[in-house]
Amino acid sequence: MLHLPTVQFTEEQEQFRVEVRAFLQDELAKGTFTPKCDSWLSGDDPEFSRLIGQQGWIGLTWPKKYGGQERSTIDRYILTEEFLAVGAPVAAHWFADRQTGPLLLRYGSEEQREFFLPQIVKGECYFGIGLSEPNSGSDLASVTTRAEKVEGGWIVNGQKIWTSNAHLCHYMVTLVRTSPFDGKNKHAGLSQLIIDLQAQGITIVPIKYLTGEHHYNEVFFDNVFVPDSMVVGEIGNGWAQGLAELAFERSGPERILSTFPLIDELIQELKRQNNSQGLMQASKIVARLWSLRNLSIGVAQLLESGNSEDVSIPAALVKALGTKFEQSIPEITRLIIQTYPSLDADRKIDRFMAQSILHAPGFTIRGGTSEVLYGVVAKGVVAQ
Amino acid sequence: MSEMKDMITEVVERMLKENVDKDLVDTVEQGDWAPALWELLEENGMTVVAVTEENGGAGGDIEDLLNIVRLTGKYAAPIPFIETTFANYLLEYLNLQVLEGLATYRLSTNQVFTLENGTLTGQAHHIPWARHVKHLVTLAYSTEGTHLVVIDLSQADIKQGTNLAGEPRDTVTFQQALVSQLSTVLSPDEIHKLTTLCTAFQLALMTGAIDKINDLTIQYTKEREQFGRPIHRFQLVQQHIVHLAGETAIALAAFNNVTEALLTNNENSEVAYARIRFEEIIQAVTAISHQVHAAIGTTHEHSLHQFTRRLWAWRDEGVDSSYWTNIVALQLMENSEDSLWAYLTTSTSSSPLLNVEG
Repeated sequence: MLHLPTVQFTEEQEQFRVEVRAFLQDELAKGTFTPKCDSWLSGDDPEFSRLIGQQGWIGLTWPKKYGGQERSTIDRYILTEEFLAVGAPVAAHWFADRQTGPLLLRYGSEEQREFFLPQIVKGECYFGIGLSEPNSGSDLASVTTRAEKVEGGWIVNGQKIWTSNAHLCHYMVTLVRTSPFDGKNKHAGLSQLIIDLQAQGITIVPIKYLTGEHHYNEVFFDNVFVPDSMVVGEIGNGWAQGLAELAFERSGPERILSTFPLIDELIQELKRQNNSQGLMQASKIVARLWSLRNLSIGVAQLLESGNSEDVSIPAALVKALGTKFEQSIPEITRLIIQTYPSLDADRKIDRFMAQSILHAPGFTIRGGTSEVLYGVVAKGVVAQ
Repeated sequence: MSEMKDMITEVVERMLKENVDKDLVDTVEQGDWAPALWELLEENGMTVVAVTEENGGAGGDIEDLLNIVRLTGKYAAPIPFIETTFANYLLEYLNLQVLEGLATYRLSTNQVFTLENGTLTGQAHHIPWARHVKHLVTLAYSTEGTHLVVIDLSQADIKQGTNLAGEPRDTVTFQQALVSQLSTVLSPDEIHKLTTLCTAFQLALMTGAIDKINDLTIQYTKEREQFGRPIHRFQLVQQHIVHLAGETAIALAAFNNVTEALLTNNENSEVAYARIRFEEIIQAVTAISHQVHAAIGTTHEHSLHQFTRRLWAWRDEGVDSSYWTNIVALQLMENSEDSLWAYLTTSTSSSPLLNVEG
């Protein structure tokens, strides 16, 4: 379980990387976007998402009949790395591309796939992920938002919280309780519903992030009708389906590279200053990045070979280690080089520092807190 | 990748598992070693893996050999395995003659050995296993430049010493001793390439010990009970387990990536990154494993120290991580890519320093 495969990129893959990079450099030069740290959460730009869609770069691995390119998980890994390394604004389509698509391909109905996937691929249809509730953070099985069966569908009542970008999303895959809580089997009776966020009875309330920015939301459901056709997979199977989703969520490049633009700018600044002492200190960051990337690509390779059962523990490990790394970058940087972190600074490194410091607390919380992940990994390691 | 790899590692692992126990490893500290274990590996051709068949070797590639070295680290095998095999690997790499019998090496660029008229003079400290082996392969300096030489240790004055793990590390003195083989003058690039290979071998050895420490520690958390339950059930212990497992997974992946880069002749800076990162790994796994084992792990009777002490010793032997920190800093300074990302991910971005053909 601690032994992950190595990956040597093929020539086609190296070529693909060059192609993506050239495109992004071009757009950057045109002023299409401004690079940011943590751009997969805070860089929401529907126009940019549509542009990416036109390139065929959303749903890269999905079947062609739904508008995908049928390329490999490793290709997608490369694509994602390039977006994050340059700090491109990919937040709008992020969750639909990373989670909803794979979920529907695995558990969705043909009707759902045919309806949603082509829109997602175009960069025009965004999904939120409705998991956490005010009293269900790490203890996700305790969700109380409930759906009751009615003629032709379900009536949903309750509340979700911390939903990233719900105010920009068209739909939300929502984990709800479809039968009463059973203390003996708390993972039973949960289901996943696709809820149209324009539907009657939905209220979305912003939760401002500590910077004042609007990423998170509370979403309230007051007798919201969801047709049967919007049930994902099987009623009662929501927990297992959600777990499968996590393998895709947990170990990607976004768990290592959220502060990469800052690392890059640190190195450029040190080069400009001819500061070899500083570069020696920075070499440790580069070594850590390299060593984590080996693990993360290893997990991607396991996913590619269809081994998702064995993936959940190393994936949790990569997330725990990777997010700690990206969190440490501003703290290390400020000891190597003098900066004045400010969100409105002219100097790039000062802006990246500010974005990194202010976003860092979220890295080890979102998508499963490190404490929960530690529990998963420790139990997995001991069970070997 | 050699098809032999899985077979070889399986065979060697079984041999080491069956033949190396704590008492055997202890013999090193008592000034002895395990010739029978060497003979067993030799009879099975494992001491000449990666030496070509035309030079009397068993074939196989560097990945096969590095994996055997890793296993000798995992079992703390009390034989001069890395010493002899790496010495031969160097010799064949430079088209010199592969040696009969046991050997050791020294690749430090401290210019302690001078070469004049085919004879060697000078003194070097901390030479692994010198008292037990026949040949020394070392860098030596003539008026023309740096050479790799082979010299028979029977001509040396040897003063015995040990490292932190009690392994033999001797002071060796030569007075106009005849060298038996001599390379042409080596360029700085070639010396760097040899240093890279040397560090890769050290990484293999360390990876084995790290892996073993992880195994011992996880096993201990299952066996040891306190407050009526095995200690792995305690969340604070679980935190140690995750940290340890994480560092172990990183070490294994780093080793595998280094191996693959060398095998495909694609090594850019993988060895440097791995060696720098191993400093943190060693610090973490030694500290965590001892904390989890608590008092029993600090006794000579327990085997944990056979691995933690080796890591503490090995990290300061040969080329240390500061060399690699300097190299990476230099490469970062001199690379012409516009961004760090391009530098890290462009396969042709290797520094001229590292462009020696294998």
